[in-house]
Amino acid sequence: MDIRSQVSMVFHLDKCIGCHTCSIACKNVWTDRKGAEYMWWNNVETKPGTGYPTKWEDQEIYKGGWEKNGNSVSLKGAGKLRGLKNIFHNPHLPVLDDYYEPWTYKYEDLFTAPEGDDQPTARPVSLVTGEHMDVKAGPNWDDDLGGSPDYARKDVNFKDLSASEQEVMFQLERMTFFYLPRICNHCLNPACVASCPSGAIYKRGEDGVVLINQQVCRAWRMCVTACPYKKSYYNWHTGKSEKCILCYPRLESGQAPACMHQCVGRIRYLGVMLYDADKIQEAASVNEDELVDAQLGIYLDPFDPEVIKEARKNGIADSTIEAAQKSPVYKFVKEWKIALPLHPEFRTLPNLFYVPALMPGMATVKDGVYEESNTQFLWGGINNDRLPIKYLANLFTAGNTDKIVEVLKRLMAVRWHRRQTTVGDVEQGIVDMAMGEVKMAADTADAIFRLTSLATFDERFVIPPAHREESIEMLESTADVKGSTGFGFKETPKRGW
Amino acid sequence: MVTLSQPLKTTVVIAIFFISTITLQAQNGEQIFKNSCAACHTVGGGKRVGPDLVGMSTKRSEAWLIKWIKSSQTLIESGDPDAIAAFEAYNKVPMPDQNLSDVEIKEVIDYINTKSSAAEVPVAATAAISEPQEPIKSSDIASEEEILLGQHIFEGNKRLANGGAACIFCHNLNTDRIIPGGLLAKDLTTVYTRMGGDAGLTGILNAPPFPAMTEAYKNKPMTESEIYAVVSFLNKVEKESTTQTATATNPLLKYGFIGFAMWVGIVFLVWFRRKKYAVNKRIFERQVKSY
Repeated sequence: MDIRSQVSMVFHLDKCIGCHTCSIACKNVWTDRKGAEYMWWNNVETKPGTGYPTKWEDQEIYKGGWEKNGNSVSLKGAGKLRGLKNIFHNPHLPVLDDYYEPWTYKYEDLFTAPEGDDQPTARPVSLVTGEHMDVKAGPNWDDDLGGSPDYARKDVNFKDLSASEQEVMFQLERMTFFYLPRICNHCLNPACVASCPSGAIYKRGEDGVVLINQQVCRAWRMCVTACPYKKSYYNWHTGKSEKCILCYPRLESGQAPACMHQCVGRIRYLGVMLYDADKIQEAASVNEDELVDAQLGIYLDPFDPEVIKEARKNGIADSTIEAAQKSPVYKFVKEWKIALPLHPEFRTLPNLFYVPALMPGMATVKDGVYEESNTQFLWGGINNDRLPIKYLANLFTAGNTDKIVEVLKRLMAVRWHRRQTTVGDVEQGIVDMAMGEVKMAADTADAIFRLTSLATFDERFVIPPAHREESIEMLESTADVKGSTGFGFKETPKRGW
Repeated sequence: MVTLSQPLKTTVVIAIFFISTITLQAQNGEQIFKNSCAACHTVGGGKRVGPDLVGMSTKRSEAWLIKWIKSSQTLIESGDPDAIAAFEAYNKVPMPDQNLSDVEIKEVIDYINTKSSAAEVPVAATAAISEPQEPIKSSDIASEEEILLGQHIFEGNKRLANGGAACIFCHNLNTDRIIPGGLLAKDLTTVYTRMGGDAGLTGILNAPPFPAMTEAYKNKPMTESEIYAVVSFLNKVEKESTTQTATATNPLLKYGFIGFAMWVGIVFLVWFRRKKYAVNKRIFERQVKSY
């Protein structure tokens, strides 16, 4: 056993209202620079939709992620031979049009325009060329043009849905959507790290944050291709690639990342997971329908004395183990089993888990009686979900529908239980049957309810102390500078007349 | 203590510099003659590729000589009768332009004058006989092995003993014996007669008078046997050249184009399934544009 700690996340999709506050927080802190304008380390997509960059999930276009190769995995678009072949011209890169051309407006014209018959307008100006431009697309274009045939119907996750199944989704009064906020997954088996010819990308030992060393990066852009989530971006101004850093300067000072701190719907949770690094290859190499279970099997029980002993042996601080025990992510993912990784078929073992949206079922009015399908006996709401189970399975379980139904049933059981508790219009028998089938105790359901809707800041974000005072000792001898730091002057003070 | 003023110091330094150069001049003239002229000319040793230069200054003015040495062809083109006569008298073999300064040419003329006056004195004439030009072995009687050795040296298959460059890097021959050579210098197919046969070629290879060749073989002289082999080979090539079909263009250019086309084809095939357009291309093309 090789136990390490990983800062992991859970996004609760039922709570996301698609306000993009997270994206703006991230943009203002990190990517509001020349060359980075088009980057959205955090973005919110509308599903069904093609996302940002367009069709990022289609690895036949972008060649990201890993492929199963015998008992192991190999990179789909990079690696030794393929990487060498494409090193001077990487043909699978997204181009600027696949993201969008960033722009601003000439607001000054509104004030300086000469008097005329029409109101002055602020024309859009490209942030890349500085020229006037036509706005062709934006980072959340499938949101702005929701449901249009160009974006919603080209969702990559429709791949094994029949034409009629797809058509049903776009019927009037059936049409639906939900939001999918995305940041870097800080994967356990990151394809970007594996693909980098310069060795500039690394996974931090203490908390598993994946970072690009800007000094070492040589702009080969293999990580841009290799990341199946397209969360590594090339900065055309600095000539280096950049990605989400999980706001590590904030984490180190005990604050939640900017996107999570700002989240209006409070959908985001962050905590430590302990995992067994020896099992990564094995877990990444199993068949597609076993991928979710294999990945969840890597994470270890932080209460197990054996795990604690091994973790200490590996230099994991007691405070980190304690944080792992309080981790909301551990609860959602391992204890309650209601959070799933996004696109596990990319085999990068992502550390961002999603609680899938439990959609409103179909409601019909029959003979003047309003009938909601999710009030039908037990799981009616799931089976009649506006989004086909197959579609959700393509997103979260690599096509394994049983797995997604299991999660939705558990969420539904919590709903039945809480309805009985707060409204009391459900027969106790039905509640018991639901809870019995998913083997959930009443206090578990209450705990899920509490962490979902009433959680405080400190319950949502359990950030382990960074122990910077110990890590600095790895780089320099602190005794050398003892007695020589403290007050001082940046500039030599001028004295005399 | 005597202190020199600054201008005086400068004058002294310059004077010392000039004195030292003057003492070098006499040696310079001989050195330049050996390096640049001796391949084709002698002073009192008889004709080679070019004329014997004995008493040269009595026949031509110094100004004429400087012009001729710097660029004989320019002088011929300007219609100078003496120049045209000299050109035609020596089988129309052009004398290569010498990259020498006026001062250097004067040094050479001085050297030739000194040597001429010595040669005209009867006693000195015997001295000239006492160091006769070695009779040059005729390349017509060269064996097949020697011709083959010459071919290998020309092609670079056999290294020159002193490490000089192989001929083929700069020169081409129209022959089936070897692959096409370089285009940096003259085609040598008919060089044997053009440059005065055995005597001329041996002289040239001993001390190349052409600036680029001088640089290339500086401190790397060819040995006697190597020179003989190469001259024999060139002689043979010229004799055979009547049976060769002349290649109109250099085939290397053709092969270059074919190779380039093949490379482009390979790139096209290997990267055929690349991502060629933005995913949204068709949507963007449909949009109304104001520019």
